[in-house]
Amino acid sequence: MIASYILNMSLIIPPPNNRISISLDSIIKPIMSLFGSKFYDFYTHPDDAGLMAMEGKRYGYSGITVIGHDANEKTIFPEDFSIYRGIEIKAKPSRIREEIKKHRDSGHILIVKGGEEEINRAAVETEGLDILLHPLEFNNVLAKAASDNSVSLGFNLGLLIRLQGVARVRELKTMRINLNHARKYKLQLILTSDAHSIYDLRAPREMAAISSLFGMTEKEAVDAMSASPLNILRRKSLDYIQEGIEIL
Amino acid sequence: MKTIPTLREKKRYLAFEVMSEKTLNRQELVREILNSMISIYGDKGASEINPSLMSFDGKCGILRCEREKRLETRSGLACINNIHGIRVSILVLGISGTIKGATEKFIQQTLINRSEPEKNKL
Repeated sequence: MIASYILNMSLIIPPPNNRISISLDSIIKPIMSLFGSKFYDFYTHPDDAGLMAMEGKRYGYSGITVIGHDANEKTIFPEDFSIYRGIEIKAKPSRIREEIKKHRDSGHILIVKGGEEEINRAAVETEGLDILLHPLEFNNVLAKAASDNSVSLGFNLGLLIRLQGVARVRELKTMRINLNHARKYKLQLILTSDAHSIYDLRAPREMAAISSLFGMTEKEAVDAMSASPLNILRRKSLDYIQEGIEIL
Repeated sequence: MKTIPTLREKKRYLAFEVMSEKTLNRQELVREILNSMISIYGDKGASEINPSLMSFDGKCGILRCEREKRLETRSGLACINNIHGIRVSILVLGISGTIKGATEKFIQQTLINRSEPEKNKL
């Protein structure tokens, strides 16, 4: 008798209220979602791309860009991990325009390592470049040209990891100036590790922590590793024609 | 004498994993962590972070730090690249409020995950 009574009672008890779980989700998700997206590292030059990809996946990345490495068929890449090919343009300031125009339609990611003002100017004023990495002399004119041609500004965090002392202070100073200009002209930011081996790679949260050294907020750092790389990839896809025009 | 609970420092435990070319010993790692933090934040900042290595077995370890200085601790660990010519990288597995939580939740989990793929191969 008692057993049947308990059974009946259990039937009467209503199922757990769904509203509670939904409200909990809405509280937890905004905190979790910052580091819940896909992360990309856009400037690596490994000797062994397969090993780097394995390690990158373990660190929590979903894609890397390999520069100057022809992936042969022997290398085994892990699943759910994408490897893009990047071209680093090294040329005289007068030749940079032609080089960018030559590689513009290849579908690879174009990177110019910034330096003195002439190089930066030539790079930023040419349409089709994706990333200008760590320019040493950056000013408001260059920043405006970069935002007109939708060139992203890259921060090379590998320098902060590898250097020490006075050299690191100098790099931090240039990064701070670059960040100020980027904020003013609303440039897309990119964080890269410049990894030559698996020991130079850092996880996304660590990258965000390092970027806080020169005043970048956590939100900006996450956007620089997930939103703006995805934006570049979208522009590289075949369906994309021009800003605002896309084949659906 | 015990400090009263309200004056006790609030602390967090970082579980981390070390990838290195050769196995390191505890003393080298402690010295390098302190050096890295002092070179970034100075003596004052490092004293505020108050790092201390609770345990380290050559691969995984637990580091104690101040509750409000988690980000600084992370960047201090991330800037370690080279210990006496041995290339090193440190991956933070997670942060917990207790040593037990850090061990059970992060270190044991990674050890289990590491061993499973090998079992599947056999």
